[in-house]
Amino acid sequence: MKNVKTTVVGSYPINIDNMELMKGYFEQKNISWNKYIDSAVNDMISSGINMVSDGQTRDSFVNIFTRKLKGCRIRGRTEIIDKVEYNGPITLDDQKYIKNKIPNSTQLIGLITGPYTLTKSSVDLFYNDEKNLAFDFAYALRQEAIELQKYVDLISIDEPFFSINLPEYGKDLIRIVTSNLNCPKRLHVCGDVSNIISELLDMPVDILSHEFKTSPKLFNEFKKFNVSKNICLGSVCSDNIKIETVDEIMSHIVKGIEVFGEKITQLAPDCGLRMLPRNIAFQKLKNLVDAGEKIYGG
Amino acid sequence: MFSFTKEQSVFDISEIKIGGQPGVYPTVLFGGLFFRGEPEFDNAEKQIQKMLYLSNKTGNPAIPDFFIKKEENIEKIINFIEKTLPKNYPFSIDIIEPDLKIKTLEYLYKKNLLSRTIYNSIHVGIKNEERETLKKYTPDSAIIVAFNPRDKSPDGKIEVLDNGAHLIDAGLIALTKQLGIEKILIDTAAMAPGDNSGASIAAIPVIKEEYGLPTGCAIHNVVEKSKWLEEFKSEKKIVDASSNINIPLFGGDFVIFGPIENAEMVFPIIAWQDILISEYTQNYFGVNPEKTHPRRKLFK
Repeated sequence: MKNVKTTVVGSYPINIDNMELMKGYFEQKNISWNKYIDSAVNDMISSGINMVSDGQTRDSFVNIFTRKLKGCRIRGRTEIIDKVEYNGPITLDDQKYIKNKIPNSTQLIGLITGPYTLTKSSVDLFYNDEKNLAFDFAYALRQEAIELQKYVDLISIDEPFFSINLPEYGKDLIRIVTSNLNCPKRLHVCGDVSNIISELLDMPVDILSHEFKTSPKLFNEFKKFNVSKNICLGSVCSDNIKIETVDEIMSHIVKGIEVFGEKITQLAPDCGLRMLPRNIAFQKLKNLVDAGEKIYGG
Repeated sequence: MFSFTKEQSVFDISEIKIGGQPGVYPTVLFGGLFFRGEPEFDNAEKQIQKMLYLSNKTGNPAIPDFFIKKEENIEKIINFIEKTLPKNYPFSIDIIEPDLKIKTLEYLYKKNLLSRTIYNSIHVGIKNEERETLKKYTPDSAIIVAFNPRDKSPDGKIEVLDNGAHLIDAGLIALTKQLGIEKILIDTAAMAPGDNSGASIAAIPVIKEEYGLPTGCAIHNVVEKSKWLEEFKSEKKIVDASSNINIPLFGGDFVIFGPIENAEMVFPIIAWQDILISEYTQNYFGVNPEKTHPRRKLFK
């Protein structure tokens, strides 16, 4: 699998022991989250995944960012109460921690939740202007991306809201986040993207990542275009506990090869695995790796 | 000094008033009885009497906070409470292990003491068995520890109170109410030094403004764990006691001040601070202190 990596989109399930955390609090210990990061990363490595993430175990993929950006506060949803600005590294310490622990042969993804998704996930009490808010998120996230690229092999921007509504300035947002980055860039948009394929192919990224397993109709839709970008092929469902067999995944990859040929450079689940039970998430990754190796060689 | 726009709850816990706008009711002081090893009840009784004397003198209500760490001590400690404290006087039980909490609740019910009990505490570590027991044997009041391992800032504390921070299935306030407990006190969860420990103080006005519930913390824990203070052995006690003034200064209603032995230092410091706050809040906000307030009792 020299040219094709098995990887993940982002999140991975963990079992949090609340009582253990509380005991740490009562004993006035510094509470470390490393145990949970280890749990996610070790599972990914054990399953054979080539390119791992931090598992986004600390928080939801929105709150991870808005919790640390200036101008945001966490309530039921993130509330925007002031100008959004970068306030220092967000996920950097975790990435450094992981980089030191994983084998040299394993690569690391830096995850960034996209500016439009952060905008649409927040309650704006300050800007009253969605576009300005989205651009300020983009400028803040660019600073995080610049820091991250020193430690990761790929930066992946997660923009699920593009599948619901891709604003006319969507490409500008992604350009701001990815400008001056030297590492490869991936854009993940889950959901039905069949109506925005041409815009996605025009995005300033190297790899497009979509839910091809849940939405196999995307194969036919992409066939209509000259696909110039590399593809991260979503190959197992991330919201269904049924574990796809190796044969089933192989058939899916073969369909993908028929459409994209050598443009497939990554095999991944359709989306983050957070909502699945841990044992099921692990087995899905393992089967994905086995299927990938059978098709592309070990 | 604060006046909150949110209406502030005032609870009557066995005739001790807690909560409200700053400057009205005196700060309530929780003194800990830790019972390391075999409980020494003679000394404990002396310390309680001393704390009650100080409370009577200053006007700051005192609540003994009983730590229970071993099953074999449950009955001994509760029998001691029943025998030693004045009739109907409130107390809190401070237990970490869920199994011990359950057994203690059962015994408190058996002894008919739940109406005087402040349950310390409800937090994200609560288990289903503990919930069921609390529904069956419901204490008069409870302290919620607003510890959010995901976020130790005031916002993180709000999050765990509001929605459980995705660590449990409900916000801690709603969960406590579902258990049938209406008198809820919020402990803002003082963290270890270097782990955003100041947020427990900053969170007090934020939580009071958001929920209007009586709020406080055990800021003394931060002093106790500040290793650099070991070089200032004789001064450490002063720092420990005086750290507690942060709580009323930031609008808080109760102080969990650590070992009951510290009462002698803590009560006058807090009484002084309460007087200071009362002077200002009366002049600026027109808030009158209750007749039990230290300003009424001591500053004539």
